[in-house]
Amino acid sequence: MFRITRSPIRVTTLVRAVGDPAAGAVVTFVGTTRNENAGRRVVRLEYEAFTRMAEREMRALATAATRRWPLRKVAMAHRIGLVPVGQASVGIAVSAGHRAEAFAACHWLIDRLKEIVPIWKREHFHGGRVWIGPQQGGPRPTVRRRASAR
Amino acid sequence: MRVRLRFFAALREQMGAGGERTVRTGTTVEALWRSLVAERPELAAVPVRFAVNEAYVEASHSLADGDEVAFFPPVSGGA
Repeated sequence: MFRITRSPIRVTTLVRAVGDPAAGAVVTFVGTTRNENAGRRVVRLEYEAFTRMAEREMRALATAATRRWPLRKVAMAHRIGLVPVGQASVGIAVSAGHRAEAFAACHWLIDRLKEIVPIWKREHFHGGRVWIGPQQGGPRPTVRRRASAR
Repeated sequence: MRVRLRFFAALREQMGAGGERTVRTGTTVEALWRSLVAERPELAAVPVRFAVNEAYVEASHSLADGDEVAFFPPVSGGA
């Protein structure tokens, strides 16, 4: 299962998707939206994806991980749209015969996802919102505030 | 030949979601991006990644008729 979704991410769904009688371990990673970043209080996050390419890239990452470690199955889901603080924005489940490769692959998959899967995050904080990552040309993202801010 | 353009995240807000454009046969992704920058000089300093038909490509990639070219900032998904 490789999915970009507007619905809440359920770990049980991911775990079920990687179920395999030959698996002795299922490792999951859930990334949740944090209430602060760079000293700024975050009220919610917003994600945008190039959906079809993102699902393809997630599938390609799973294929690459399966070549690198002896895995059984991989499932990945990323939420888009507005995500309140404390909720899951991304979930990964990996099943394998033994836990070492499941842990290693899960760690590798979330790191690679953040580097190459075409999804962008925008933080909403009190008085404004800003895209995360180098988007505006400068070394730091430009903060665009609403006229009413501060 | 005709290609379709798509923009995402901050670039989408500057350029709109996309559209169609006529380019010369053999135009590279980089040349197409430079033509967009020529029309919108504020894009000159924007870091951009390129994808053609939903796969990452280098700037030197040559376009074919009907290609869908996506321009977007470095990704920032995850939590």
